[in-house]
Amino acid sequence: MRIPRPGYLARKLAGVAATLFAVITFNFLLFRILPGDPIRLLARAGNLSPEAIDRLRQAFGLDQSLPVQYVLYLRNLATGELGTSLTYRRPVVQILAERMENTLILLAAATVIVVVLGVLFGVIAAARRGTRLDSGTVLTSLIFWSLPTFWVGLIFVFLLGVYFPAFPISGMTTPGATYATPFDAFWDVGRHLVLPTLTLALVDVGQFILITRSSLVDVLTEDYMLTAKAKGLSRRRVIWRHGVPNAMLPIVTATALYVSLIVGGTIQVETVFSYPGMGRLMYDAVLRRDYPVLEASFLLFAIVVIFANFASDLLYRVLDPRVRNA
Amino acid sequence: MTRTMGPRIAAIAAAAVFVAAACSSSATPAPGSAAPGSPAASAAASALASALASAPAASGPAASAAGPSQATLRVGWGSEPDTMNPLTTYSTEATEVLQLIYDKLIGYSTDLEPQPELAAAWETAPDGLSTTYHLRPGATWQDGQPVTSEDVAYTFKTIKDDSLGAYAQWLGDYVGADTPDPQTVVLKYAKPQAFDPALAIPILPKHIWSTMDAKAIQTFTNDQPVGSGPFKLAEWKQGETVTLERNDAFWGKPAVPARIIYILYGSEDVAAQALKNGDVDVLTEVPPTVWDGIVGATNVKAVQLPSFSFHHIGFNVSEDPGSKGNPLLKDPVIRQALSAAVDRNQLVQIALAGKGTPGSTLVPAGLGEWHLDVPTDKLLDANPEKAKQLLDAAGYTDRNGDGVRESADGKPLEFRLIAIESTGVDVRAAQLFRDAAAAVGIKLDLATLDENTLGSTVYNTTDPDWDIFVWGWDSAVHDPDYMLGVPLCSQIGGNNDVFYCDETYDALYAQQATTLDPVARKALVDQMQQMFYDAAPYIVMWYQDKLQAYRTDTWTGWQDVPGGIVFNFTRDNYLNVTPGT
Amino acid sequence: MTAVTFGAGGRLGRVGASFRANWSLLWADRLGRAGLLLLAIVFFAALLGPILLPFDPTAVGHSAADLLQPPSATAWLGTDEMGRQVIWETIAGARTSLVVGLVATAISMVVGTFIGLTAGYSRGTMGEGLMRVTDFFLVIPTLPLTIVLAALLGQSLGIIILVIGLTSWPATARIVRSQVLSLRERQFIVRIQSLGATDLRTVGIHILPNVLPLVFANTVLVIAGSILAEATLAFLGLGDPANVSWGTMLHFAFQSGAAGRGAWWYIIPPGLGIVVTVLAFTLVGHSLDRILNPRLRNR
Repeated sequence: MRIPRPGYLARKLAGVAATLFAVITFNFLLFRILPGDPIRLLARAGNLSPEAIDRLRQAFGLDQSLPVQYVLYLRNLATGELGTSLTYRRPVVQILAERMENTLILLAAATVIVVVLGVLFGVIAAARRGTRLDSGTVLTSLIFWSLPTFWVGLIFVFLLGVYFPAFPISGMTTPGATYATPFDAFWDVGRHLVLPTLTLALVDVGQFILITRSSLVDVLTEDYMLTAKAKGLSRRRVIWRHGVPNAMLPIVTATALYVSLIVGGTIQVETVFSYPGMGRLMYDAVLRRDYPVLEASFLLFAIVVIFANFASDLLYRVLDPRVRNA
Repeated sequence: MTRTMGPRIAAIAAAAVFVAAACSSSATPAPGSAAPGSPAASAAASALASALASAPAASGPAASAAGPSQATLRVGWGSEPDTMNPLTTYSTEATEVLQLIYDKLIGYSTDLEPQPELAAAWETAPDGLSTTYHLRPGATWQDGQPVTSEDVAYTFKTIKDDSLGAYAQWLGDYVGADTPDPQTVVLKYAKPQAFDPALAIPILPKHIWSTMDAKAIQTFTNDQPVGSGPFKLAEWKQGETVTLERNDAFWGKPAVPARIIYILYGSEDVAAQALKNGDVDVLTEVPPTVWDGIVGATNVKAVQLPSFSFHHIGFNVSEDPGSKGNPLLKDPVIRQALSAAVDRNQLVQIALAGKGTPGSTLVPAGLGEWHLDVPTDKLLDANPEKAKQLLDAAGYTDRNGDGVRESADGKPLEFRLIAIESTGVDVRAAQLFRDAAAAVGIKLDLATLDENTLGSTVYNTTDPDWDIFVWGWDSAVHDPDYMLGVPLCSQIGGNNDVFYCDETYDALYAQQATTLDPVARKALVDQMQQMFYDAAPYIVMWYQDKLQAYRTDTWTGWQDVPGGIVFNFTRDNYLNVTPGT
Repeated sequence: MTAVTFGAGGRLGRVGASFRANWSLLWADRLGRAGLLLLAIVFFAALLGPILLPFDPTAVGHSAADLLQPPSATAWLGTDEMGRQVIWETIAGARTSLVVGLVATAISMVVGTFIGLTAGYSRGTMGEGLMRVTDFFLVIPTLPLTIVLAALLGQSLGIIILVIGLTSWPATARIVRSQVLSLRERQFIVRIQSLGATDLRTVGIHILPNVLPLVFANTVLVIAGSILAEATLAFLGLGDPANVSWGTMLHFAFQSGAAGRGAWWYIIPPGLGIVVTVLAFTLVGHSLDRILNPRLRNR
């Protein structure tokens, strides 16, 4: 393992900042240029009084030129002013904060499953490439990859809601429940997490298996692997000690795609299971055309992906055995 | 070649978790209890047992037998309140919760008759221009301050002066209030009121609200509402639950449920599942197809009750030159033809899964005698032949053979149709309407919108850019006045969603609103209904039944009330249901 | 022009000449063959279904008793929440899903290839700039972006196609660009340029044909993704309500409570349709990728 040099870190951070800035600008343009009347967009709810609309107009400079609006937008963003939800008539940033926590839990749980199972089965398949187990695994992975996440969720709701009610099919906690111990709270949330996590992980695990397998196969045919085998190391050692770490690199770089996919999966899963997270917030915002919330949740999702990429870039740097000091 | 143990262990562990969870979830929760398996559940259960043991024996109607309990009533709904401010809310859910936190002067019983609430007694003056209300002595606000006549006077004055919210429409003739003493208030009107606004308006605490001017009230979120009602707001977890707690200082008999939790479900389907699994006690509104799946479930009772609501098709008949609606719709013949082309019974069967009655006039059939049965010769329903005749006679024929009729100057009878995307029954009705219109040579382009956009599109008074919509109305009060008052000229900019304006109609409305003799009033109401029906700015599609459901093994004593066991003008069910089977 | 060597162990000339060779390789591969067969079934059902069995997919039921009925002799796959026949909607939905998938992909491929070519071939700021733009769009999560665009632009079929097409080009652009980058330095390109070939000629006649096979393999995978994207958007309520597709069927199934009612006949056929079609394209794409990408050849 190597610690990345400060210079590298600084450059990477600058890159992240640049991308963040670009996303913020993109978000701004998206919501100002595309719709016909931005005032209707941000200020309408049919029931806002003319005074309320005026107030919003001033806060966001909706009747000013685009560059002025942009500056106001940036300033508002810096102070955490993300607008007012048209549905809840509360500051958007409050709503986001509450929901983000829940989504992160779901994402983390699903990622753990995906990575563990994906790597495991990917390694097994690569180690046995060419055999039936391998093609079986590949086929199964491709099938999982072709499943629409929301449909898998519907099937779970259907099977486990109607025929065999073993797990809760909605929400994150039992409403109105009081917990005597932290363990009780943990257990309740855990039970509610099972189905959404499983659904989310099912589709992405296929992709992960395939990536692991293909990058491990790449590595296993490299020269230095043959050297290791020639040196008399056992096959298991060869695979796990030398093959997998090198194979991890392409997996780590594939994180961008993975995070984008899992963000999409989260939206679907939270919708089907009524899980109170960012994904469902976005779905509800679309249903009600609550543009301030839509704008903010889009930005937040993009930021999550950017930071995941940054983390994976760093991880790559740390893991890459070919990087030498200085 | 060694196999990795990893997958094996993982599988066994997963199975163990699965089995353990399945076992714990199959235990039926105690009525109104917390999560199964948690110590809180057994605590609630034992508290429940002792509460029931100490309740007095039933001697009157079952509803009032039990004293206050420790149990929680769990209510499931599909959307949340928008705010806790009664003066700015437009949401039915908010009104439902607020009617438990705040009192009106007069409420409704489970027979939908007026019953005393904050006003223990009242009498109307002989000239009908004022009513004296005697407030309950000892009634207090939830912050301890006493309720006085000043609060009533303040509430009415503020609503009238600042024209706030949905209540202002009742106070058109309101003149002022006298407060001779803290327990007496006299509300005065310029004309006799056939419908007493005291039945509609929640009374607010002056000492809290008078610190705000009209602007401040508009943005006041009222996060900690202080009312005088049987419940207090304990917590509102946005996007999840609204929790009410019993107000033990309530002026009346304390409510039986200690808490009411309203649970937000992302879909009615999931809510129905939750009801069947025992995770919730009552559902406020169940869509027809979902309801069919609940009927007959164990320990569940599904109710189908008449409602005071309808769904309708509305035409943009604005005469304003700024209107961007298709001007052809201003010709009543086209509207009448479309009304005749629609088979309302088919709409009820297919869009509503049979859970309603075919619609006709503006006053819902649920309001009983007030509803007019349109005479057969004036009926415009399920009669495509008549529709075609009307259109032919008026000169709308298909001049170019494309299947769509044109007017004399060549304009095609093609209109835009909008419906709310998330209201399944409206979307289905819109599709059926489109097909019915096509059968008589009128083309409708259907687009679905979200509720907010539809609302702001329709209610755009400057340049309304729409032709036809599908929407609905719920009567806000148990009286025909509300629905009759929607299409008034003065309601353009208010409730009037089609920009209909007819002076004769308005005059009739003013007359019936101040006619106290029921027979004379009924004649006027009938006249208005027929007039509006003939003009056809609405096609009232159906009067839907209120579909709700509750568990029979957790709470008992639900009274079937026309309009719904909950989400109705009366709040008594909330107060009187008792835990048990 | 003679066939040009391209990578160790591979052989690739003009696309047409090796088409038959590649085809037989595809057919020989088990997974590829399975994919092709599935595709044939789907296309057959979509194109010929309405002709062979002429029913109207929009015909609604007669009374409430016809709604959400399980499969029977008169309704082979049961009815939906308006009494329409699920089997007809499924077949009609196949058409919409395929059309959206194919047209959106076409847009995506054209845009992606064009940008990839330009980014890879141009030197200096143009190339850098386009690369940055491509990488930027790769970072933006796809589903949220398509949701936002659809919510802002509207719900007609055309808009959905455009939205999907315009959000999936970055992956193609990136593949094309890296391919062009490696080709750009090759001997034969340098030689041709020193003989005076213009940039346009170089790209059009020499680079493009060598890029197309990879693009083609990628295209098939993008089709799979586009079909999934349309289904997801429609399920979330952003589909075109006037056109039945598998996604809109599942949307209405979800909305009308079919899952809770146990109406499996309404949930499984459209879902299976999606899975089978997407799987078919994925299998074919996966195989093509192995065939046409010589690096993967020996696996």
